[in-house]
Amino acid sequence: MAKLVDQHDHHYCTADVISAVEFSQSGEFLATGDKGGRVVIFQREPQGEYNVYSTFQSHEPEFDYLKSLEIEEKINKIRWLPQLNSAHFLLTTNDKTIKLWKVSERDKRPEGYNLKDEEGRMKDISKITSLQVSPVLRPMDLLVEASLRRVFANAHAYHINSISINSDCETYLSADDLRINLWNLDITDRSFNIVDLKPENMEELSEVITVSEFHPHHCHLLAFSSSTGTTRLCDMRSRALCDQHAKLFEEAVDPANRSFFSEIVSSVSDVKFSHSGRYLLTRDYLSAKVWDLNMENKPVETYQVHDYLRSKLCTLYESDCIFDKFECAWNGTDSVIMTGAYNNFFRMFDRASRRDVTLEASREVCKRRAVLRPRRVCVGRKKRDSDISVDSLDFRKKILHTAWHPTDNIIAIAASNNLYIFQDRHSHHAGHHLEQDRPPQLQDAPAQ
Amino acid sequence: MEYKVEAHRIMSISLGKIYNSRVQRGGIKLHKNLLVSLVLRSARQVYLSDYYSGVCLNTQHVEAKEWELMDSNQEKPLTPAPEESLSPSTDCNQNPEVPVVPEDPEVQHTSQAVEDSTDLHSVSSKHQAEEESSSEDSTTDVSLTSSPVTCESQCEAKGAEVSSSDCEADANPATVTEGNSQQPPKAHSCSNRKRTAEKTASNDSPVKRTKVTSSNSSEEEAEEMDTGNVSNLITIFGSSFSGLLTKESSEPEAETEDSDSGSGQICCDQMLKNLNPWSTAIVAF
Repeated sequence: MAKLVDQHDHHYCTADVISAVEFSQSGEFLATGDKGGRVVIFQREPQGEYNVYSTFQSHEPEFDYLKSLEIEEKINKIRWLPQLNSAHFLLTTNDKTIKLWKVSERDKRPEGYNLKDEEGRMKDISKITSLQVSPVLRPMDLLVEASLRRVFANAHAYHINSISINSDCETYLSADDLRINLWNLDITDRSFNIVDLKPENMEELSEVITVSEFHPHHCHLLAFSSSTGTTRLCDMRSRALCDQHAKLFEEAVDPANRSFFSEIVSSVSDVKFSHSGRYLLTRDYLSAKVWDLNMENKPVETYQVHDYLRSKLCTLYESDCIFDKFECAWNGTDSVIMTGAYNNFFRMFDRASRRDVTLEASREVCKRRAVLRPRRVCVGRKKRDSDISVDSLDFRKKILHTAWHPTDNIIAIAASNNLYIFQDRHSHHAGHHLEQDRPPQLQDAPAQ
Repeated sequence: MEYKVEAHRIMSISLGKIYNSRVQRGGIKLHKNLLVSLVLRSARQVYLSDYYSGVCLNTQHVEAKEWELMDSNQEKPLTPAPEESLSPSTDCNQNPEVPVVPEDPEVQHTSQAVEDSTDLHSVSSKHQAEEESSSEDSTTDVSLTSSPVTCESQCEAKGAEVSSSDCEADANPATVTEGNSQQPPKAHSCSNRKRTAEKTASNDSPVKRTKVTSSNSSEEEAEEMDTGNVSNLITIFGSSFSGLLTKESSEPEAETEDSDSGSGQICCDQMLKNLNPWSTAIVAF
């Protein structure tokens, strides 16, 4: 197993690298998946901190004998179902198989059987005078169990990149490079194909699906993005096979920026509907764009995440960094968007004020209860000591996975094998805006 | 000239990525390979873009020129017509306009190269100058010599894109018997697309025929090139990008592709022995 070294010379395995981060729909739980196929679930304590709640092995490496291919156990995506009862359900997926897990608590155990006494010794049968029909439940230490409830397998010939649960809470979609399938959560032996981009002749392949997501409110609408930089909105009511899009969101490429790598850079790496359902957030390699669902020809807002990399695309291509897929996130009120970058930086953009901030997630900077100070990347000479020059950015440290609590200002940042959880100190209610003179006060909570 | 060096470098890097993807854990990543092939195609277009500036598009003229060049023992691979309106970076890290330089650096390049080496495998190229190459395609078919024709017919029978290895297998024996041949046989990659091909003729002076090909702009792979060690790398890979895809989607062609890459490997080894300066690098690859 490959050993990696983080900035403190701590050795860690590639299996420990976090590959998925997702808050539950209420925000009480936070799930992370890693390259080793493990899932760790954190629960929010009454004081506001997140502590480990459950850990289980979700996927194991498999081997496809027909194609002589190894199937990685890396968790690509995690999605929580809305909570219906005391148990919690989540979907996890690797490249080929989706699994539904039930996480439940047990804090009582049955006792008082007819043949055994309380200490577990066999009773003297001649002394039994009455029968107990129902067992007595006695309290025990809390036990959290994760049990596998469904396995949705053998439906994808290509690598699964996303799963998304429908607002109807009965169906969900899974998307691979070329196809999107619709499943019923209770039925594992069949799924419906709703999008198929596979050309008759694979030589004519020109685009692949990168991410797909259901609309948060309209159960018939889904969006999927492609490697060509387009995002499509599909309506399942209009036809069974949604290859024809209802809307196509695409911005014309600026010819001045054309290079060998234009196509790679425009490939969309993440798509997220706003909580309101009115906007789409897309992330490509250099920017994040907010689209109004009613306007297809250009985004309403474009945020440059790290435009200073535009002159370094060749180097990033060589190092494979240009293929990194950054995720993006909305805050609870859709007023701020967040996405990751390199050097363990992540960025937040306030849509109303157009203010943005760059923050760093690293052990050196993030002591408990410390307030994060904004960072800046400079292209030329440093104006301040705290500036970082583009050439000294560490491209091995990338923040690909970020998540925002559904209502509160709590964010989870995955940096390699580390999970950082930051909370807004000033306000625990939704609707906090970044103010002009005060950078956001963030503190870390214990994690992992 | 700088941009050609950069383009060539990008092509090599891209091929390396495609090659490495075949042994990566988890199988071939379709998305990444698609993007890499797009970069490869762009780089290749830039690299070849100035070959045709100033060169007459008439095939016969081209052939006559080839004869002259061959007679003078100078290699000059002729590749399809210049690309239209291509403005990728000269320096791949910047984005200035690409000046179309009406020179043929390839001549300089090959004159320095070992005579046996380089320009073996012209083969497939993807070009968007369809209107320019369409006229040449018909005439070049006539000019093929026997063994390549055999190869080509075999390849065409295959229908969809075929790896160069098949053609190499046929061309190789012919080459081996050619005592005087200065160049190893050219590899064909035959497909439903028109292609560039170079091959040696029998007997005295090797003749290179350039088949100008065109391709759909929607196609995403450029397998063989007619320049130097980059084309050698492609030969070594054996199978095409669709071979990668067929493996992944486990279509029936997968078996064919497997055998192709196998025979391609053998042919590559045979050819490698003829290549002096590049052999070490490629074997290492």
